[in-house]
Amino acid sequence: MNIKGSPWKGSLLLLLVSNLLLCQNVAPLPICPGGAARCQVTLRDLFDRAVVLSHYIHNLSSEMFSEFDKRYTHGRGFITRAINSCHTSSLPTPEDKEQAQQINQKDFLSLIVSILRSWNEPLYHLVTEVRGMEEAPEAILSKAVEIEEQTKRLLEGMELIVSQVHPETKENEIYPVWTGLPSLQMADEESRLSAYYNLLHCLRRDSHKIDNYLKLLKCRIIHNNNC
Amino acid sequence: MKENVISATVFTLLLFLNTCLLNGQLPPGKPEIFKCRSPNKETFTCWWRPGTDGGLPTNYSLTYHREGETLMHECPDYITGGPNSCHFGKQYTSMWRTYVMMVNATNQMGSSFSDELYVDVTYIVQPDPPLELTVEVKQPEDRKPYLWMKWSPPTLIDLKTGWFTLLYEIRLKPEKAAEWETHFAGQQTEFKILSLHPGQKYLVQVRCKPDHGYWSAWSPATFIQIPSDFIMNDTTVWISVAVLSAVICLIIVWAVALKGYSMVTCIFPPVPGPKIKGFDAHLLEKGKSEELLSALGCQDFPPTSDYEDLLVEYLEVDDSEDQHLMSVHSKEHPSQGMKPTYLDPDTDSGRGSCDSPSLLSEKCEEPQANPSTFYDPEVIEKPENPETTHTWDPQCISMEGKIPYFHAGGSKCSTWPLIQHNPRSSYHNITDVCELAVGPADAPATLLDEAGKDALKSSQTIKSREEGKAAQQREVDSFHSKTDQDTPWLLPQEKTPFGSAKPLDYVEIHKVNKDGALSLLPKQRENSGQPEKPRAPENSKEYAKVSGVMDNNILVLVPDPHAKNVACFEESAKEAPPSLEQNQAEKDLANCTATPSKCRIQLGGLDYLDPACFTHSFH
Repeated sequence: MNIKGSPWKGSLLLLLVSNLLLCQNVAPLPICPGGAARCQVTLRDLFDRAVVLSHYIHNLSSEMFSEFDKRYTHGRGFITRAINSCHTSSLPTPEDKEQAQQINQKDFLSLIVSILRSWNEPLYHLVTEVRGMEEAPEAILSKAVEIEEQTKRLLEGMELIVSQVHPETKENEIYPVWTGLPSLQMADEESRLSAYYNLLHCLRRDSHKIDNYLKLLKCRIIHNNNC
Repeated sequence: MKENVISATVFTLLLFLNTCLLNGQLPPGKPEIFKCRSPNKETFTCWWRPGTDGGLPTNYSLTYHREGETLMHECPDYITGGPNSCHFGKQYTSMWRTYVMMVNATNQMGSSFSDELYVDVTYIVQPDPPLELTVEVKQPEDRKPYLWMKWSPPTLIDLKTGWFTLLYEIRLKPEKAAEWETHFAGQQTEFKILSLHPGQKYLVQVRCKPDHGYWSAWSPATFIQIPSDFIMNDTTVWISVAVLSAVICLIIVWAVALKGYSMVTCIFPPVPGPKIKGFDAHLLEKGKSEELLSALGCQDFPPTSDYEDLLVEYLEVDDSEDQHLMSVHSKEHPSQGMKPTYLDPDTDSGRGSCDSPSLLSEKCEEPQANPSTFYDPEVIEKPENPETTHTWDPQCISMEGKIPYFHAGGSKCSTWPLIQHNPRSSYHNITDVCELAVGPADAPATLLDEAGKDALKSSQTIKSREEGKAAQQREVDSFHSKTDQDTPWLLPQEKTPFGSAKPLDYVEIHKVNKDGALSLLPKQRENSGQPEKPRAPENSKEYAKVSGVMDNNILVLVPDPHAKNVACFEESAKEAPPSLEQNQAEKDLANCTATPSKCRIQLGGLDYLDPACFTHSFH
């Protein structure tokens, strides 16, 4: 058994070491029940981090859409079919400043989290399908992978913020479900391209939404509307 | 008939067309919406380009519908944006929603529609340039002067709630310069410039952009004059740095100069040379044999009492060369045992000088078929001395091919033609001897060294004397044989047995010829294991005549009337010389040991071998 045991021991040791190393990266966030000044500082860092991530994600999405359109669909009128194609349109998201200022903080945060959650699956399938293409466009694939990664991080950060700002919030797992996978796998190239176009178009829009919302919330919560 | 109708119809149409063209009335051309912009994400404006007018007043209307709605709307504001524009107010503006709009141009002749334009306000954001750019030169007393610029964001942009985020950029250049110096300022509304050219007039501009959108236009340029006394204080720092580094370099150079060698040796320690116990290479280079030998541990190079035993007590000169030659051979054979093998003409192990023609003895070669190269020409060139010749011949034979195996630096083999023939104890010179001694570095080696050296020296001194060659050879051979027996060590090479365990043979001077040549007879000692013991001569032998006695028991021998040489012998006080002439020489020879100062080699006539004396003679 020794012969078999040594690789197991090695792998266990490796796992242990990697866990220790990874554990160092997880910053334990102190839960501040009372909303003291000390808590605000930590929340500020969380929001700063979240804004940085959302900004970055939208830049990536915008670039990805531009590259896809330039390469596959430019001038072919795909935009006409992208109307009303986003799966998150059912969410009551504010569409201007006044509406955004009217929505309360808690709902606002829940809304953001719902949008982020609803994009987990589409992003996963996007990466899988693009990777499986015959001539996978490397630029688009790399960006898709990065967006998926960063979106997960942003979601974790948002959940932390929610736990700090509204600890009593029940975990609400309701979010719009994306059903566009069959469209991505259609045999007809025109239909398939249209499906990709719609997906990237919606991703660009929603990432901008999230970025704008977070900047609004940051100014509202951290700076008290005095950015 | 029909042709006339057709031509008439065509004529009429063309006439109508001409009339119309002359009037300039046509349906309007197709307009085009070419730009839509939102300065603050709360309103936006679209501009279109009208088509051809058609010569008639044309009305334009813009209609739109939004994503998710089916109802068509018309542009709410055609004025705010200027001509051919449509302005959408706050209540009409929605983010993250696509607008589908179209312009309709209408005149009396007809109307035309533009293409549909899909617009999302999210992506058409471009703010106005920043306002109120102020630039001034600030020169604080204890700090470096700088250019300070400040501006304010454009109006109608909501930064406080975070709905809008602005990023700024400034640029400046001297008035006459061609290129701008651009700096990104982030979200701050002020900026500092430190590196400026004094006495120049600068232009400064600023612009801004949303977090996701287009850059604004540059603000109008602001001019600023840099005063001439705009001091750049960097030079003072650089001067002090240069002085400090120069001082440090000087210190380092001084330290290196003083302790350069020790430092170098500390960093690069000298490679230790090979150390041979007891051997000093420097002495070897200088060639001082005494020091060298002393370093080697050759104590008491003039042989001391230990060496005394090796001395030949007396010499017997024998007339019958053949006889002693045979005996020599016989002696050599049993002692060496390997002699036949050594008889090989292996004469090239470094005997450079040994091969010199001066050393070669033609006479020795002639009678011998073997090319022996060790003959002493002087010795052989004595036709009138057949004994000598004979004496030499077999020796030549025996000597032939005996190559001294140590020739390190030694070209003195010329002095040792005889010795070389002894394969065992072939050494050329003291150097060689000492080299041999170096190997095992044992005590017996030392002993043998001395013996060998004495033999060498004696041979050298006798070189000029052909008469004494035989005797010398004899003694040398005896020494060699003795050394051979006593010391099996010597060189690691088997070929160079510096001392095979063979005791030295004593030589008896059988006869002294008229010419003074000595014919030697090897001492008969089959059973003698103690060669050191001197024996009194039993037979009447002929010795050199003693011409007189010098100061303290020093006998002066006179072999030849024409050659007066002084041979020094020391008489041991213990023994009473029964016959001054006969025994004295022998005993003195035997006893002449450790007092070297008075010994001198006798040149000419009878040559007396006394290693102890010889050593001193070499000094």
